Amino acid sequence: MAPSKAPTGHFSILYFAAASTFTNKASEHLPAPAEARNLFSKLEELYPGIKDKVLSSCAVTVNMAYIDIDGDDAPDLELVIKDGDEVAIIPPVSSG
Amino acid sequence: MGPETVINSLRQQITSCESQLQDLKRQLAEAEYQSQQQRSNLQSEQSEHCAPYPLAYDFSHGVHDDFRAEILAALSQPEESIPSPKRWPLDPNEYKRYGRQLIMPEIGLQGQLRLKGASVLIVGVGGLGCPAAAYLVGAGVGTVGLVDGDTVEESNLHRQILHSAARVNMPKVESAMIALHSLNPNVDMVPHHGRLTPETAVSTFQPYDLVLDCTDTPASRYLVSDTCVLLGKPLVSASALRTDGQLMVLNYPPRPPGDTAGGPCYRCVFPKPPPPESVVSCGDGGILGPVVGTMGVLQALETIKILTRGPSALSDGLASPDPPSLLIFSAYANPMFRTIRLRTRKPKCAVCSTHATITPEVLNSGSLDYVQFCGTINPIDVLSSNERISAENYAKIRLDVNPFTGLEPSKDSHILLDVREKVQFEICSLEGSVNIPFSTISSTPADDCKGTATETGLESGWVSELRQHTDKPIFVVCRLGNDSQITVKKMKELGLDNGGQRWIGDIRGGLRAWRHNVDRDFPDY
Repeated sequence: MAPSKAPTGHFSILYFAAASTFTNKASEHLPAPAEARNLFSKLEELYPGIKDKVLSSCAVTVNMAYIDIDGDDAPDLELVIKDGDEVAIIPPVSSG
Repeated sequence: MGPETVINSLRQQITSCESQLQDLKRQLAEAEYQSQQQRSNLQSEQSEHCAPYPLAYDFSHGVHDDFRAEILAALSQPEESIPSPKRWPLDPNEYKRYGRQLIMPEIGLQGQLRLKGASVLIVGVGGLGCPAAAYLVGAGVGTVGLVDGDTVEESNLHRQILHSAARVNMPKVESAMIALHSLNPNVDMVPHHGRLTPETAVSTFQPYDLVLDCTDTPASRYLVSDTCVLLGKPLVSASALRTDGQLMVLNYPPRPPGDTAGGPCYRCVFPKPPPPESVVSCGDGGILGPVVGTMGVLQALETIKILTRGPSALSDGLASPDPPSLLIFSAYANPMFRTIRLRTRKPKCAVCSTHATITPEVLNSGSLDYVQFCGTINPIDVLSSNERISAENYAKIRLDVNPFTGLEPSKDSHILLDVREKVQFEICSLEGSVNIPFSTISSTPADDCKGTATETGLESGWVSELRQHTDKPIFVVCRLGNDSQITVKKMKELGLDNGGQRWIGDIRGGLRAWRHNVDRDFPDY
């Protein structure tokens, strides 16, 4: 349910829709600080296969704001996810 | 045809006719009410003009009859014969019908007139499109276009609120128009039968002020968004699956491609389509009625907000008062709603940036293959024919001699493994089957096999359990016959076939084939 506050030295990560199905979690805490460019490889380590099956098409947000880390020249690769930040992995939902 | 079938068919026909009759009666009542309202308005206007006869008394004294008759005739001339400018901007019944929203400062008379003058296209008349259309037609949007190529199915009715049991098999567009007309006959409805294609999208969208994406595939979402950008139409997009929903107002303000002041499009937010094998439909993944209903209702709300803001907000005049955002609805989370701040247009977006490669000409030519862009999955066919058995032959094994092993029928002669998820297994299952959900099977590492894991005792529970009965053939079944094939492959990788000594195979076509060819009473969910 409501994600608990991240303990010191961690950030919260929320998984929506297909990301939640894949990880079998709604949220968790991961060590901070972390560079945005390494976020996907970190998650791939934890959940083998998630990069291709889920993350490749996802929107990613930090503290409720969209960040662009897609591609080698993406504007937010340098961004650092800090202690207490809230990251969200948002796969497109296309049904209706 | 047996007598039972005839009786059932007649019953169905009667229900269908009765419901059509009810619809017609409702429409007649509505029409009669309106015509009566108009008549009584007319009468009250007339009586206002001739009611008191103030001169009647005087005329009866000493005035010539002919002269008196002439004057009276002139006075009682009903005003209707002289064309007069419309006294009130809305029709009398509209004040009554829309009164509850009309008195709100957010709408007011101006807002209502803007709704009346607006035209909106709803692409998809399913779980999102039905509630969205109901509220927009209810609110008095002047023209509502409906696009859909499907027909109503019984499994739609728990969420697609415009359709009804009597209209199963009717085109959705037609069914929706019947419901919407009986809700509000003042609204002009435009049917667009058939699925939207790149070739038809531009001409279909052209006459409308705003578009609602109520479709259900990634390909249609990119097509709808691209078309809106190219034609400069605001897009209200929503989606839903299981317990989750998403809502975005896109391309708003609808500036031309390359103008950074315009709102982002679907490609700006989701530049890459999800891999096709990960795309789950409501039919496979499930959907809760109120979840998709909530999203459709919110689409109607955003549409009303944009339309009542006035024409300046619709064209490229004003910037949108709301920064672009993505609303996420998770019915079982707390909080249920989250709003994500989106960026402006993506500098390299394929359709709305200065680097755009998608133009109206490209779209019209049909050379853009949206289905290919989003990828397709070939039907799974990974097993050889001797690893598969038809539902009919499996039925024989349950009753007769096993054609593969020559064993006499017995409940214990084999293992029937059902790999549907637990919740589906609990709905209905074949007697004697064991359930190991496909999600458990696919998350078991493939190297969890042949020696190492078995010896170290770290093997997954289900694998070691199946390893215990080395002699029994395993028949794998699922809903449609795809997951069962993958499971057979996986079990062989795990060495459960003892190097080919034990037969492992799947039931072709799954429980759907079982229902079709063996047991018609097996539930169809």
